[in-house]
Amino acid sequence: MRETDTPPAGPGVAYGPHDEEELIEFLERDQLVADRSRPVSPARLGPTAVAALWALRVFVVVVSAMVIYTFIAQLN
Amino acid sequence: MRQSPDQQLEALPPEAPPALTPEDSARSRDRARVERARVEGSHRSLLWLLIGPGILAMLGENDGPSMISYASDGASYGLGFFLPFILVMFAMAYVCQEMSMRIGAVTHRGYGELVLQRYGRVWGWFGAGDLALTNLVTLISEFVAIRVGLAYFHLGAPVAVVLGLALVVLTMSGGKYWRWERIVLGLALFNGLFLAAALFVHPSAGSIGKAFATWSPFPGGGFNTLLLLVASTIGATVTPWMIFFQQSASADKGMTPRDIKQGRLDTAIGGVLAAVFGCAALVTAAKLSTHNGTAIQGLAGAGFPAALRHISGGTVGTLFALGLIEAGAVAILTISASTAYAAGECLGVSHSFNSTPRESAVFYAANFGTALIAGAVILIPGAPLLSIALNANVLATVLLPVSLVFMVMLANDHQLMGRWANKRSTNVIGIAVIAFVGLCGAAYGIDSFLQTIHVVGG
Repeated sequence: MRETDTPPAGPGVAYGPHDEEELIEFLERDQLVADRSRPVSPARLGPTAVAALWALRVFVVVVSAMVIYTFIAQLN
Repeated sequence: MRQSPDQQLEALPPEAPPALTPEDSARSRDRARVERARVEGSHRSLLWLLIGPGILAMLGENDGPSMISYASDGASYGLGFFLPFILVMFAMAYVCQEMSMRIGAVTHRGYGELVLQRYGRVWGWFGAGDLALTNLVTLISEFVAIRVGLAYFHLGAPVAVVLGLALVVLTMSGGKYWRWERIVLGLALFNGLFLAAALFVHPSAGSIGKAFATWSPFPGGGFNTLLLLVASTIGATVTPWMIFFQQSASADKGMTPRDIKQGRLDTAIGGVLAAVFGCAALVTAAKLSTHNGTAIQGLAGAGFPAALRHISGGTVGTLFALGLIEAGAVAILTISASTAYAAGECLGVSHSFNSTPRESAVFYAANFGTALIAGAVILIPGAPLLSIALNANVLATVLLPVSLVFMVMLANDHQLMGRWANKRSTNVIGIAVIAFVGLCGAAYGIDSFLQTIHVVGG
């Protein structure tokens, strides 16, 4: 498809059915904004995975607090 | 009579085609060019059209604080351990960024929205919070880098702020991802100024070869300083924003599973360029190591360009100063973009450079707003610039493992990724990277803290 064949993009532009068909054919269905705005289904995490993630989160927060405290102390 | 599910589906009217938005239209035009190149069998055109997110993530990470970190490695320890270490770090970055690109190309969704939707709001918002914090601190460092570079030309902090903000505004106008990407790519190539600077200092090929071959001399001196430089060097090559950015940019660009081969090449090219330019910054600053680093005390310790002028001549100082300005400028654009993508994804609103500011107000406001806040900080007189730059990278290193864990989980999610899910070998490397990054970040954080509260000696 030549670029000049495509209608100008912009808010409020009306596309004819033929133009839309031509444009859509280059996109996978799940690339369209309409499809991407639908959330994917949530995953089921086991209790071990959840506990591991929380442990990692707590660890990271504690170490971050240490780094920030050290940085502020060094400034003083 | 009850109908079977199949009969019920058959009874439904055919689904109406979805409404085409201007964002779809812009992306479709880019995809039309890709498909044309593919049909014509033009591999060079195909690569040209599909490169972008990988190079931008890698060269964007060769940002102000990263180049200052590499230069600090060189100025503190000379040629040795850190040269091959940078190469290994970029190999590690490739593994992470390839996963990020692959998830974006297969799912067409950004990292933030996938974590939020797949694993729940708590984890999604934690990730976005980490990103907002590290991005803000890193953006401050980018303005610091521009400030350091401009100071060489006797220009002050206000010029650095205006320059950075003007670039953000200029590049995001137009409502086209392709245009934004090409402008930033053009700017990113000037990262090569560090290579030019390295050539001008006439480094010893033998010393460089020895450093790569033997990883020696191993850095001596204080253990905590070494940990700081190791942690900040890791943070100079892999950071949370890169993961958010490359996945979101790959989706925004419209990449599909058919483009993964070119996406890998894009990431590899970016990794090689970034490693070469990063090593060049180290090699350039290594000239300062024989002068005990005393010359870099200007601008609260980040005065590398002036120090290099003093030791290696005006050309080297000028190239290094221009390199720092470029590194900071490109990173302001990519890091602001990653913040904007994350904000749009987590709030569930439009987030694309293929839309106009009117259609994606939150996306563009976050893009400009974060840069504005960061720019305001460097106007504070007497701010410890080198310390901010090094600590920005350390903070990124400390927060990185959580982002990496979710990325590996997404890349292993067969429901999302299908046959493009991680192979066992990729998982082994991915887990090793997470463990290494977590260990280095924690070692520095804990050791520094214990020293600060005088539990252990320095």
